[in-house]
Amino acid sequence: MVDIDPIRLEVIRNALVAASEEMNISIWRTARSTVVRETLDYSTAIFDGLGNAVAQSTRIPVHLNSMSVCLEEIVSNWIPLSEWQEGDVILTNDPYAGGQHLPDFVAYKPIFRDGQRVAISATIVHHVDIGGGAPGSYFASAQEVFQEGLRLPPIKLVEAGRPNSAILDVIRRNSREPEKIGGDVAAQLAALDVGARAILRLVDRYGIATVEAAMAAVLDQSEFAMRGAISAMPNGTYTFEDFVDDDGQDAIGIKINATVIIDGDTARVDLSGSSPQVPGPVNCTLNMAKSGVYCALLMAAGGGVMANTGAYRAIEIIAEEGTIVSARPPAPVANRMATGHRIVTTVLGALAKAIPNTIPAAYYGVSYVAALSAPDTSGERRVYFEIEVGGWGGHPEADGASGFSAGFHNLANSPLEMCEALFPVTFTQYGLIPDSGGDGEHRGGLGLAREWRLDADWGVLSGNFDRFRFPPYGLNGGKPGTPGRFILTRDGKSELLPSKISGVQLKRGDKVRLDTSGGGGWGDPSRRDPKLKLADQRAGYTSSS
Amino acid sequence: MSSSPRPIRIAVDIGGTFTDIEVYDSRSGGSFAHKTPSTPDDPSRGLGIGLQEVAALCGFDLTDIGLLLHGTTIATNAVLERKLPKGAMITTAGFEDVLEIGRHMRQELYSLKAEPRSLLIPRQHRFGVAERVRYDGSIETPIDKKALEDLAKKLEQEGIEAIALAFLNSYANPSHEQEALEILTQSAPTVAVSASHEVSPEIREFERFSTTALNALLKPVVSKYLEQVEGRLEAIGVSASLYLVQSNGGVARPAEAARLPAKLLLSGPAGGAMAMASLAGRHGISNLVGIDMGGTSADIAVVAEGAIGQTPEGNIDGLPVRLPMIEIRTIGAGGGSIARVEGDGLRVGPESAGANPGPVCYSRGGIQPAVTDANVALARIDAPSFLGGTMRLDDSGALKAISDQVAQPLNLSLEPAAAGILEVADARMADAIRLSLFEKGADPSDFVLAPFGGAGGLHASALADALNINRIIFPSNASTLSARGILGADLRHDLARSRRLKANHGGQDETISALTEMALHLRSEAEAALIRDGVPEKDRVYEFSADMRYLGQAYELVIKWGDVSITPETVSDLVQRFHSEHLRRFAHADERDTVEIATLRLAAIGKMEAPLITNIVVDATSQLAKRGSRRIWFEGAWVNAPIYSREHLSEGARVSGPCVVEEAFTTLIIGSGWEAEMLSGGDLVAEKRYAHG
Repeated sequence: MVDIDPIRLEVIRNALVAASEEMNISIWRTARSTVVRETLDYSTAIFDGLGNAVAQSTRIPVHLNSMSVCLEEIVSNWIPLSEWQEGDVILTNDPYAGGQHLPDFVAYKPIFRDGQRVAISATIVHHVDIGGGAPGSYFASAQEVFQEGLRLPPIKLVEAGRPNSAILDVIRRNSREPEKIGGDVAAQLAALDVGARAILRLVDRYGIATVEAAMAAVLDQSEFAMRGAISAMPNGTYTFEDFVDDDGQDAIGIKINATVIIDGDTARVDLSGSSPQVPGPVNCTLNMAKSGVYCALLMAAGGGVMANTGAYRAIEIIAEEGTIVSARPPAPVANRMATGHRIVTTVLGALAKAIPNTIPAAYYGVSYVAALSAPDTSGERRVYFEIEVGGWGGHPEADGASGFSAGFHNLANSPLEMCEALFPVTFTQYGLIPDSGGDGEHRGGLGLAREWRLDADWGVLSGNFDRFRFPPYGLNGGKPGTPGRFILTRDGKSELLPSKISGVQLKRGDKVRLDTSGGGGWGDPSRRDPKLKLADQRAGYTSSS
Repeated sequence: MSSSPRPIRIAVDIGGTFTDIEVYDSRSGGSFAHKTPSTPDDPSRGLGIGLQEVAALCGFDLTDIGLLLHGTTIATNAVLERKLPKGAMITTAGFEDVLEIGRHMRQELYSLKAEPRSLLIPRQHRFGVAERVRYDGSIETPIDKKALEDLAKKLEQEGIEAIALAFLNSYANPSHEQEALEILTQSAPTVAVSASHEVSPEIREFERFSTTALNALLKPVVSKYLEQVEGRLEAIGVSASLYLVQSNGGVARPAEAARLPAKLLLSGPAGGAMAMASLAGRHGISNLVGIDMGGTSADIAVVAEGAIGQTPEGNIDGLPVRLPMIEIRTIGAGGGSIARVEGDGLRVGPESAGANPGPVCYSRGGIQPAVTDANVALARIDAPSFLGGTMRLDDSGALKAISDQVAQPLNLSLEPAAAGILEVADARMADAIRLSLFEKGADPSDFVLAPFGGAGGLHASALADALNINRIIFPSNASTLSARGILGADLRHDLARSRRLKANHGGQDETISALTEMALHLRSEAEAALIRDGVPEKDRVYEFSADMRYLGQAYELVIKWGDVSITPETVSDLVQRFHSEHLRRFAHADERDTVEIATLRLAAIGKMEAPLITNIVVDATSQLAKRGSRRIWFEGAWVNAPIYSREHLSEGARVSGPCVVEEAFTTLIIGSGWEAEMLSGGDLVAEKRYAHG
């Protein structure tokens, strides 16, 4: 390995991040579905030639911190790195082969120069529908992964530059939205090429050895920074537990237990004691659990550590097989995000005991995903898909933010006018929910209410939510945020729906409303600055009573 | 425009520090550039002083000025510094929080404290009114006029100065906003109201609401400023026609600017971008990337295929502005960008020391080494002659800061550390330029680089090397370039109508009749605007374009269509243009797919007579072009580099890198392997002769 001077290292480090941003722009510009284009549910990254994640775009933590775990699984048990050839693209969506849930396609392209593998470009994209028991592939009644859609083990979707059109046909044929999934897979492949071109530009300018040395040094920098952040935390054992509402079927109050052991410059996170895996689709595979733990530690480190395999070296993760955080096949996993967010809030809760002046109260802690299948004006079936967010937890220094992407995900909402133009819905409300933030010296941010009316003759609704039973926790005397609610109003009568549903039949004129959770409060409410209280009342963030 | 009987045309670009003035005399074809200090408390004062100065220097009478074109940062600064009036928003009941909710996405992935978000109108000043228009323009709930009247009176009494009126789906049917506008004007006559269908009649509520809020709050600010300017001009005896530079690179009459002040948000940088377009035209090149590097940031503007890049949406301070504007990418890299060591890595920017305290060498209290300090440490900037010797630089302070804070922690000697700061800063800029071009599907090596601003010339050779660009144009008068760009501006109105229409595969009849109707409306609106501007028919130019996408895509490409009449042939030609543009930018296109039109746009341009500059006034004192030489750090070693004075390089003079060319307000570095030639007209053009190691 050649030595690299700090100047060239910084130049190449910036260029690696820029390469993943180029890939990011490429997907955004070319994808077809609203999931990808408006809610931006995808991520991009650059790996070194050995399979270590090095640089990421500014996208979604759950994706970004899982791609290296997925690659590890693929090369260990499916396609060894020695078989990744020039012109190949390796793809999987299999939760039991490194993936997370079936809609997420992870794709890697090894990048060669002079016969040598110098890097790997990687993308992960949430596809709008990959079949299974419910539109959008969120089938709440699933009891096996087989009911959740088409499962692709790690395969070469492109081999020596030739796309396998048979597999592409199979993918399209199994989706309720064949044009969109076809377009989005094409966008994913094009972005891998964009990443490859960027890396080859670097290699041609600086040479293979220098680029390799720079990537190794970037990993070392991150490791150094992460170890530094962990060293700054007091040694000790910190335990916390938090709960997922239910699995949408029989299991209620699914426990996540995290014991964080800070030992010098290493953090060991033991998820033992978490509930056994459940029949319904809220199970996580190990990949999700690791991604959640990495995300929590990167946040606790203050946001300054570049997320990559180097940072992960300082973190050890223990998860028992057969539990909710490391399920065995064929447990269903489509709605795994509720549990994933809970892993993040549980690990952060444990860390709050180590560094109480750094960690905020819990954020809303779930990706509120709803899917509606209904005919558009021409009678063609459309899948409307929305992702919502809630309030941030109160922070030791400030109130939580209202209605803003937090924690494990990072997604945009869909413009109401665009939804109304494309799907048979009319919105009746979109706003902040007063009093939904947990009270505290620094109160939690507010949750959101989003309500629409169905303007078609029929519709089929699914929803994947959480925090309806167990609200976001407060810290240091702060109160919890509000639980979320899902409400169906028909003929003037309102009915509370469970947090995880699919196949709910809708009629014309039905109104569907989602209330998301506010964040937990931080600190004793009696210590809240009266001026802030008054400002809250004036703005209507809290009611004046 | 018809030629003015009064021969002097003046362009003014008012920045934070200097007011730049470019004079063009149509009798002689001569131009003259002038700089005078800005007066930030009332920028019109500096403008008045500057006009009197150039009149005296050039020997014309103030009444000889026929045309005054003005680029201003008044709107931008009012937003950035939140010097905005007390405003309210009136919107569809149930959607009062749209403005606050925004689009959810965060930039800082792993921060536990949310990044600050801009909010222009607080919650207590946002009000819902019962009304509802559906996506197809049909009325679902009629507007509650009584409630609106009561609200208007209440807001006026409470001292609200500006109201943003924004209803859902008003892009599809503005009638409710129009009714409400009438009621508000009658019930609250003293309040400035902006309606979203007038400001930005496009689909996507948050972006339209945000743009409307900005426009509403800027109305009182810009109106007041225009009164000051007009009063000042009258007081000093200038009776020229006044025009304001807009973000779209065209100019507008004061009345239009006061009605749509959100269109002034990029008025400042637009001048530089326009200068890039005219520079490209002057040199007969179609692809040029301009980099305007100052103290805190660098603005990148791209001229591709002869035209300056336009975008349908920009942003200010994190707020979307849904209006057509010149596409400029701003990055946090400038002379004030701070270098620091983190772990064992060197980081440069985006934190900046700005102009105050500035780099260490400014001796204004800056203690962290900045990019300018590195340029001083390597003698690329000559400390004694900075800004013509008017500002003394502390070179030993710069050396010490770099030595203590960068060189020692990294175990480097001083020069490699300073050179490293520049290399990292240059690489970040090169990455940003590459991304700007990538977004357009373009390759940097097909472009010419044009640096300007205080620091552009110092970094251009290195940037070009990093981007594989082999030609650089160092424009003449780089420090007053924006004013020069403004001088050639045309009047411009951008109009748009949003409606989803199928462009291929059936449904053509409906599409053609809808487009014909939209085009007719846009055209008559545009014509009326140009008539109001007094543009004679022969000088009116119309350019249609359409925002298009494949069915299911959420974002559109803007496809140029020209001055067309709508027929099946022109529509299918438009679809073809969309496929090829999609292929060019994104490397794939599929003619079997359904293509949609989302928005039809019309740019209405009132051509102004182009200035024919034949004679650039330069200082006539005789001095040798070569001032001597000094030791400068170049590519790893101290070399004795020749120093030239730009003003004294005559036409055809050639210089070879490594060398330095000094100007009054900036320094140019010509790198190794580069050879530069002075052209007539004053531009210095450098070409790469050989690759260096």
